[in-house]
Amino acid sequence: MSLFLTQLMIGIGSGAVYASLALALVLVFRTTGILNFAQGEMALYSTYLVWFFTERSVPVWIAILLAMAISFVGGAAIERILIRPVEQASPLVLVIVTIGMFLAINSIAQVQFGNDIKLLPRAYPNKTWLPGNVQISSDTLVLVGVLIAECLILYLVLNRTKIGLAFRAVASNAESSRLVGVPVGRMLMLGWAMAAAIGALAGALVIAPVGLQGASMQQILVYAFAAAALGGFDSPVGAVVAGLIVGVVGTMTTQYLHVVHDIELVVPFGLILVVLLFRPAGLFGTTRVERV
Amino acid sequence: MIRFAIAIALVIAAAYLFGWYIPQFYESTTTYLWAEAFYIGVAAMGLNLLTGYNGQVSIGHGAFFGLGMYTTAILMESHDWPFLPTLFVAAALAFVVGVLVGFPALRVKGLYLALVTLGLAALFPQLTNRFVPRDLCKTCGTSQVGELARVKLLPPSWTPTFIHQPDQWAYYATLTIAVVGIVVLALLVRSRFGRALIAVRDHEAAAETVGINVARVKVLAFATSAVYAGVAGSCFVLVNRLANASSVSTFQLSIEFLVAVVIGGTATVFGPMLGGFVFVFSNRWISESFPSRLLFWHINDSIKSLLSPAIFGIGLILLMYVLPEGIVGGGRRVGATALRRLRRRVSAPAAT
Amino acid sequence: MNSDVCEPRLSKPRMRPLRVVALGAALALLVAACGSGRNDTKGTTDTTAAGGGGGSTPTSSVIDTSQCDSSTLTEGITGNTIKIGTSLPLSGTYAAFSGILQGESAYFSYINSLGGVTVAGKKYQIKLVSKDDAYDAARTSTNVNALINSDKVFALFNNVGTKNNLGIRETVNSDCIPNLLIASGAVQWGNPKYPWMLGSELVPYPLEMQEFVDYLKKNKPNAKIALLYANDDFGQSYQESLQQLVKGTTLSLVKQESYNSEGSDVKAQVTDLAASKADTFVIGATLLACPAAMNAAHDAGWKPVTYMSGTCVSKLLFAAGGDGADGVLTVTPLLDPADPTNASNAAIALYKAQVAKYQPKADSSDGIVAYGWSTAATLQKILEASPKLDRVSVMETARTLKGISGAGLQLPGSTWSTSKADWFLGEDFQLVKYNKAAGHTEAIGTITSLDGKTAALSPSALLNS
Repeated sequence: MSLFLTQLMIGIGSGAVYASLALALVLVFRTTGILNFAQGEMALYSTYLVWFFTERSVPVWIAILLAMAISFVGGAAIERILIRPVEQASPLVLVIVTIGMFLAINSIAQVQFGNDIKLLPRAYPNKTWLPGNVQISSDTLVLVGVLIAECLILYLVLNRTKIGLAFRAVASNAESSRLVGVPVGRMLMLGWAMAAAIGALAGALVIAPVGLQGASMQQILVYAFAAAALGGFDSPVGAVVAGLIVGVVGTMTTQYLHVVHDIELVVPFGLILVVLLFRPAGLFGTTRVERV
Repeated sequence: MIRFAIAIALVIAAAYLFGWYIPQFYESTTTYLWAEAFYIGVAAMGLNLLTGYNGQVSIGHGAFFGLGMYTTAILMESHDWPFLPTLFVAAALAFVVGVLVGFPALRVKGLYLALVTLGLAALFPQLTNRFVPRDLCKTCGTSQVGELARVKLLPPSWTPTFIHQPDQWAYYATLTIAVVGIVVLALLVRSRFGRALIAVRDHEAAAETVGINVARVKVLAFATSAVYAGVAGSCFVLVNRLANASSVSTFQLSIEFLVAVVIGGTATVFGPMLGGFVFVFSNRWISESFPSRLLFWHINDSIKSLLSPAIFGIGLILLMYVLPEGIVGGGRRVGATALRRLRRRVSAPAAT
Repeated sequence: MNSDVCEPRLSKPRMRPLRVVALGAALALLVAACGSGRNDTKGTTDTTAAGGGGGSTPTSSVIDTSQCDSSTLTEGITGNTIKIGTSLPLSGTYAAFSGILQGESAYFSYINSLGGVTVAGKKYQIKLVSKDDAYDAARTSTNVNALINSDKVFALFNNVGTKNNLGIRETVNSDCIPNLLIASGAVQWGNPKYPWMLGSELVPYPLEMQEFVDYLKKNKPNAKIALLYANDDFGQSYQESLQQLVKGTTLSLVKQESYNSEGSDVKAQVTDLAASKADTFVIGATLLACPAAMNAAHDAGWKPVTYMSGTCVSKLLFAAGGDGADGVLTVTPLLDPADPTNASNAAIALYKAQVAKYQPKADSSDGIVAYGWSTAATLQKILEASPKLDRVSVMETARTLKGISGAGLQLPGSTWSTSKADWFLGEDFQLVKYNKAAGHTEAIGTITSLDGKTAALSPSALLNS
């Protein structure tokens, strides 16, 4: 039993990361309707920034906040400069633009900061508690805590502020919002900015315990994609729940399902397929009614 | 008449260039590179049939590619088959799996479909690692333990004498497959089936009302495009002498195919092949011929290989700004505008 | 066969009327083409040409050279320059191995500045051509084909990765290209069918397991072992040898888990292993998976006797392992450049000074850079021991090395030898323990020498696979 709970905690820890990144994907998707392949690499770049600052003896938390602030601006700039000109293009063109960004950001980060492994300090003491033989590490607690904080802040911003109202209006119908005077462009930038900042935070936290290198975010992005698809691309709640599901299912299959040993990915993607067959817009996504 | 002559001349020049000049005068490094461009182009053509003509986005065609790759590698390595017959087995298998994947794809649409197919590609190396026994195929896998023996890669005895090296055989085989692929695709998109594909893409419900069996068309589109990818995968074995599943995983091949389709032009016959060429050769150019010094910045080999995706990625973004319809589609638009302007200028004085 | 390429082939096409149209374009192309005709002498298809061509094929007592084309044996040597090629990951998950290239480049720059290597009384400069393969075997194959046919390198050197080198073995065999000092401790380099492959000084993985099992027999005879291994060939080397070695001993292998070698996420696996009540932990992983495994074990409150793959010997990876890295055992054929007590050692001082001079961005206290440096030094020793500078002689020399010592950071007192019956170099090595407080490894006991024993200690199915 304690082993089960331990694996559950580990699963929740990695699930929290997938959830954060999936949340970023959903924010971008809801505002600009884009599946952002470069989300992981944007987070990677931000994490390199954290490393860059800590190398110059900036305290870790400050470094993370700085990197988040830069990412916030950077995300908005990417939307304005790179995405806006092709806003009206076909979805495939947008996918290719984000793939271009994926390649470019990854390689620029490695050229700029070097392709060796970087070690990031943790922003908190590394501790493990063993209540009743269940292993709970400070890594897991921080990741989960940060996820909860992200959700709270997002909820408050989106549902309790004027900007949030405008943001939701744009997400649900950009054309109508434009007509009633909502600054649509600025809201789209805000979506990308928030996504980039969330990604930066998730990246810095998940990479600190394992080491940073050029390919660090790619596996995580696949899982985040899985989470976003499972939860429904337009649902932040879905992203969080599905992220946790994907994380927990991953560790549980490693522990208990030896049939799928070495093919653990079967489980999350099998799950997606099954869910999508019954709910084509994901667990929490809204089904769009097609007009004929 | 003049246009016809020009067309014929172009075809012959191309036939000479591709059929004789490159494989007979260049080293294997170059012929293999061209062969790679051909098979990437073939796979992209297949994806284009599905994505461009039928509107179903897949970022998992690497899995079908891998299927063809493994089939050919296993048959050539463990069963001593020559290359060509393996193509038919690979195509048949890809077709069957394509149908199987096509069915759930009827219900899952758009980005969700893309994500499910991404899962397919991500799973391929894991599944094959687990279920393809090592003894059956030493040259397969993420941890393959060998290379196909040179004897198995030699051209078969019936080929003319000017095909005498493995790389020339690989080149001619992929070239032939590419030509056949283009011809079949051109016929296909002009056929009833092709028109049905486009009708389903443009308006599913309307297509249904005019009597098109939407489900059948969509599943067939999936299966046909899988066949293209599978056959391209078979060619990979001839060119790379092994069946490496790492290339299939997640972000590599499947994305390359999509990039090739969009660079070349979606829903065009020649676009994806052209896109494949641009993809393969620009990457090669960047990694080989990029200047070692930019202003005050000295770029050593190690930095160059790190930097090349950036240059390609930025190029890709710029291309999407300039020619969002791809090279062929964009070329057509530019050409048509120029022609219209020309006509107007010619006809304007006549009117006054 | 080359020189007549243009004329007879031009006359062949039948002149149908329409062809005339294309002739103009075709001719233009052809004119350009004749400047760079294809060189196909290096084939194996024309078996008649290989045997009956110009010059006699050199014979070798060690390698079957009947396939080799004698006219290409000195390719890659122009004037006083020897061109060698290497393919390794400079990008992607395994990009950290690019430290190897830094070490190699520093060594060659250093040796070239002294005039170069001396082969058969003549001095040669070494020119190293490197290509990035991102650890993808298909790209290694493309790279190697380009290195052989376009760059025309004399030999391949220190290509990284087990699968990557297995994927080119037919090519180097049929083209007779020495693939020297492969950066992998796999035992397949002893497969007699592929004589052009030679592993580097990295300790063969089964010997690592042998050393650790011997250590356990002495210090922990009832050890219950848990194994984590990569789900690729590299990981399987550890798994298969360990399974074979514990048979018939009081040791037991109680649990094993594999992880996906494309990533480095091993937390769930290690947690499962920790729960198995094993008291000994073997990490058959590489790069970031090593520290991840040590961290996960530490997080689980598990304190086993831990053995970590010798491929992870790197200051950085130990540091990344945090508290979990303290006391971890591993083996190395080289001195630890991070150990301050070694600072007075002349080899270390030279290494540090030259790396600082030629590769200022490299971290000279990192084991990966030190490995590149030492392997380059080993190549120099091989070349200088060769009586003649051609591919067959060099390969034959590499296969019959008599006691190399003092190559780069090679352990003082150790010798690396090969012979007709023994194709492995790195059979002298040191068991070491990482001391976290000091930040470097410490030797345990004396140097182990298992010279000539690799073949006997390896699962034969693996060796001959």
